[in-house]
Amino acid sequence: MKAPLRPAIPSTTLRIVIVAPDLAPDASDPDAGTEAERSRALRIGLLEHGYNIVAVLPADVFLPDRLAQIAPDMIIVDAESQARDTLEHVVMATREERRPIVLFTNDDDTTHVGAAIAAGVTAYVVAGLAPERVKPVLDVAMARFQHEEGLRRELADARTELSDRKLIDRAKALLIRHHGLSEEEAYARLRRTAMEKRLKLADVAQRLIDVSDLLG
Amino acid sequence: MTIDRKAHMSRRTVIKAAAATSAAGLVPGLNTAVYAAGSDKPEKEEVRIGFIPLTDCASVVMASVLGFDKKYGVKIIPTKEASWAGVRDKLVNGELDMAHVLYGLIYGVHLGIAGPKKDMAVLMTLNNNGQAITLSKKLADKGAVDGPSLAKVMAAEKREYTFAQTFPTGTHAMWIYYWLASAGINPFKDAKAITVPPPQMVANMRVGNMDGFCVGEPWGHRAIMDGIGITAVTTQDIWKDHPEKVLGTTGDFVKKYPNTTRAVMMAILEAGRWIDAGLQNKMKMAETVADKSYVNTGVDAINQRILGRYQNGLGKTWDDPNHMKFFNDGAVNFPYLSDGMWFLTQHKRWGLIKEHPDYLNVAKQINQIDLYKSVASAMKISVPKDVMRTSKLIDGVVWDGKDPKKYADGFAIKA
Repeated sequence: MKAPLRPAIPSTTLRIVIVAPDLAPDASDPDAGTEAERSRALRIGLLEHGYNIVAVLPADVFLPDRLAQIAPDMIIVDAESQARDTLEHVVMATREERRPIVLFTNDDDTTHVGAAIAAGVTAYVVAGLAPERVKPVLDVAMARFQHEEGLRRELADARTELSDRKLIDRAKALLIRHHGLSEEEAYARLRRTAMEKRLKLADVAQRLIDVSDLLG
Repeated sequence: MTIDRKAHMSRRTVIKAAAATSAAGLVPGLNTAVYAAGSDKPEKEEVRIGFIPLTDCASVVMASVLGFDKKYGVKIIPTKEASWAGVRDKLVNGELDMAHVLYGLIYGVHLGIAGPKKDMAVLMTLNNNGQAITLSKKLADKGAVDGPSLAKVMAAEKREYTFAQTFPTGTHAMWIYYWLASAGINPFKDAKAITVPPPQMVANMRVGNMDGFCVGEPWGHRAIMDGIGITAVTTQDIWKDHPEKVLGTTGDFVKKYPNTTRAVMMAILEAGRWIDAGLQNKMKMAETVADKSYVNTGVDAINQRILGRYQNGLGKTWDDPNHMKFFNDGAVNFPYLSDGMWFLTQHKRWGLIKEHPDYLNVAKQINQIDLYKSVASAMKISVPKDVMRTSKLIDGVVWDGKDPKKYADGFAIKA
């Protein structure tokens, strides 16, 4: 019952959304100006490398709705942007359904990358916005995300499998007790029913248990 | 407009310089360290403290500007941050040593709510009071000027209502959810709750994207100055002397650098004491933090409410004795366990955590009561007897920290 890992998506078909800072920043705020320029450079870099930017969204009240509509494969945001808190709301609201978020910063100290990843930060702090450095970073971020998702799925599968087995064991015990079947016979009967009704074995077991509870 | 601002800016810079000079005179023997060089010498001298440009970053900034840090043998480097998420990540990975941070955020990281999980520490409360909930002018024109009248307007005219706060686990989220619920409005079912950075609140409300928001000053007053919103309630009217920002760090930092931690706490406590000492100091503080390296706003957006002079944008003005406080004879700073637990009860109430946590134990792990007591006693600051306090909130419900599970489950309106 092991689910196959999702095939790696070639980076050029990744549907990327960039959460942008204020596109027309207040002239009196130098930080906002720098941030807008950094974001512009990043967009140009990504476009030149053939990335599929499906939208550039401002961090306003509509961001959660827009992200839900577009359902991008990856969200890119400047690490030093106010927009991150709006994105945090989306992360919180969709915590069951994770999506890689890549943080960009012009911080040249790469030791923070390792520290951020080790600390379990939701994203990756990477040095520099130089276009030629963008691709490997996105590839690594996506690969790592898929790896983690794979592990997460395996864990979920293992949990389901365990609870399935418990159900089947209880259903077998019922059949053994009430119909005097052997364990093999009980299992064979469950399997046959599952095939006839086109149900999962665990579902048949669950139904049997439910009905048996009802009948007392 | 721009020219005007520049003129302001240079005036402020001059005043800032003056403030720094007078402070040097204010602290005699600045270079004689107060700590006894030896066992309690700070292990780490430079301490990077992150802050978000809001009025209540003042005690961190003033500790550095006035040189209180040097008095205790450390050097505070205030580091301006763009987002609470950034503050969190940098605390977790060690780029920042400490931060001026939302109470609930520290608890969220300790529990790993939708993000990194790491043992965190609340060293002290930085301020009480001084946040506000703003409703749009458009809503006010329809008669929505407080909780009950907002509920009436929302019931009469059905549409999607949007209310914003600044961080999902933060203080402003909890204040606005609590207030809406106290008026019978479920913040998630009857309205839409979103997160928006403080400086963008006013802009979003101006274009009509938002019906209300809760944020720290100067943004509540700014909305009134710009004529786009009214103050429906101040947070001190939701909970008098509520805990707001804290001085936060990681559990590891406290263990590794206990003396540095104590020294920084002393410097910031002294800065808080200095700010609350009188009118002149508050004015100087407002001039300093209004500068573009800190809050980046006109000083007139800060100095009214810092002095307790409030207007609601509808012609009503009043003097509020429960304005933003940084020290208040030490009553502000004690990290009551019941304060920390309150944020957990609200996180549970609104579904940010699924199960009841071990409220008391989590608060004991995070809030550094013993450390605070040792610092306070060295500075002769009085400390309350009990680690819990009793408060009555706007809906009349009393919170005393005694039965957090029952309290959290007891609200009629919840997620």
